[in-house]
Amino acid sequence: MLLAVLVSTAFADEGDWRTSWDGTLYGYANRQSLRSDSVLNPANQIARLAPSSTTLESRFNFKAENEALRLTLRPIVLAQKSNQTGVREAYWSQWQLRLRASEALNLAAGREVLNLGVAQFRSPSSPFYFDNGRANPMRELSGVDALKLSWNPDLQHTLMLARINASGHVAQNTWRDSWLVKLDQRGERWSAGMVVLKTAQRGAFLATQGQFSLNDAWLMYGELASSTRINSLNSLPDSTQPFTISSESARKLTGLAGLAYTLENGQSLNAEYLHDAHGYTAAEEGAYFQRAAASHQNAGLALGLAPQLLGRDFLHLVWQTNLMESSRYARLMLTHSLTDGGDELTGYGEISVSERVSAYLLAALNAGSARQEFSSLSRNSVTLGVKVALP
Amino acid sequence: MKNILIIIMLCFVSPAFAEPDAQTLLQHADRARGGGLPGVVWDMRLLSRDGDKVAEEQRLRVSSNNEASVAEVIEPVRSKGTKLLQVEHNMWLTRPGLSKPIPVSPRQRMSGQASNGDIAATNYAGDYEGVIVSTESIDGESCYVLDLTARHKRTTYDKIRYYISVKGEVGVKAEFYSLSGKLLKTARFDYANFIEYQGRRIPFVSRMVIRDALIDAETIMEFGGAKVKKITVSEFDLGQMQ
Repeated sequence: MLLAVLVSTAFADEGDWRTSWDGTLYGYANRQSLRSDSVLNPANQIARLAPSSTTLESRFNFKAENEALRLTLRPIVLAQKSNQTGVREAYWSQWQLRLRASEALNLAAGREVLNLGVAQFRSPSSPFYFDNGRANPMRELSGVDALKLSWNPDLQHTLMLARINASGHVAQNTWRDSWLVKLDQRGERWSAGMVVLKTAQRGAFLATQGQFSLNDAWLMYGELASSTRINSLNSLPDSTQPFTISSESARKLTGLAGLAYTLENGQSLNAEYLHDAHGYTAAEEGAYFQRAAASHQNAGLALGLAPQLLGRDFLHLVWQTNLMESSRYARLMLTHSLTDGGDELTGYGEISVSERVSAYLLAALNAGSARQEFSSLSRNSVTLGVKVALP
Repeated sequence: MKNILIIIMLCFVSPAFAEPDAQTLLQHADRARGGGLPGVVWDMRLLSRDGDKVAEEQRLRVSSNNEASVAEVIEPVRSKGTKLLQVEHNMWLTRPGLSKPIPVSPRQRMSGQASNGDIAATNYAGDYEGVIVSTESIDGESCYVLDLTARHKRTTYDKIRYYISVKGEVGVKAEFYSLSGKLLKTARFDYANFIEYQGRRIPFVSRMVIRDALIDAETIMEFGGAKVKKITVSEFDLGQMQ
């Protein structure tokens, strides 16, 4: 009610309204080589993954603002065809109505990507987006529905309080009825933050993250979180024992340490180490695959309720070209599981063909057996696409 | 009697020819490049050349004060919406479609010879210790020559030789040096724009040409639409960049 009053006041005092829009059209084709010997997805009967697909997608940005009020809309319209099915979607990926109540205070309502931390591989400090969208890198992360109050008393501090009403576009409404408090502080060469998220009938999510620039070349960063998981699949090392499911797991820690080096030419190298105690040990992961191989029912359980990462310890290396260059960009990522020894190599390249048109390629190679995390479902994947900027 | 008259005349004459204060000169020069103001917004056109290779033109909208800046890409169209946020020595890049803001190093320059600090408002008075070393004529314009040494490590350059017009008190030329004294780049400035501030019309930078000292490369920055505008702290909040 208060927000509505404030907004109508801001509308009445129209001031100088500015509007803008832009958009991007995407067309891309994907092909992946599914494992015929997959333990988790035998004969592709459980996950029913599409060996190939073509997608047309449009993403728009609309903005209208004056000195006090800003409305942003980001709708996405998508049509995808695969060997087996066709999908059409139109949804609000993000939208927000923001009111500048004072110089230091902002109120906002909408759907927003509340992502945290600077890590690339995974974000332990981010309650909503642990995988940073890596599960489906072609699709954009969509927001969570929230009412948000932000207080910026000065450049160095931000306090945010948010009421999460729903998980947004995604099917599972995991974050409905949550409260989030976030505090950030920035210094000359560093920034740090902490976040507390409390969802009804679930243990609190507690996290912290920080970054520190040693000099122009070196950046150190880290994230740490303490959390529980709902519907947690337990895998004892003794594979003769069945899977068990805990409605809520024990509280465990997930942490990441990272180091980035930027060369004089703007290219950068990142190295990250992740430890996720929610994952399985080597013995537990071995037993996990053993049980999954025993029956389709077990395979379905294994696939549906697996932790976000099967293993506990990972090394992630990244090389990328200068992010600020607009005409071309390339990125190589190597992820090694220290738990099961598996590797995943991913490459992304983008080049501008004209002022509006860019072509891009994403390729992933998963080296390993059917009983290693990265290679358990597919051996490789390639996506080729074109994007056109509007207007 | 004659000696007394000479002494009295010197008392009136000497102050008129007293050397100006370096700090005051820098403050006046900064204002013509966005510094010392509650905030300033402007549009910028960037054209970079490396030998015969000409880079694609970029257009930015910049909001800046002494401590922070946000530069948003307007063109090329395919990069529209990309934002570079600078707060103290921290920098982040956001872009539609990115899962979250990415920290950026000062080594990842936006365009050609222009560092990210060149795009934002200038605060040489706060960032550098200045000393007037001489006067010199640049293209027929008499200038004070100041040697600037960085007060802290947040600065873009370690040392600057800055040529400030005697008449207009605006920076006309700059030479940027490394800590060892090696010349890195030179810059020339034009002031065909004006801004209104506290009832006065102040000249404002319209063009800056930065040339590399070692190779044949330059970046031209053209400034337009400049106006003084108080920028709230929340405009520089990473959590509100999208």
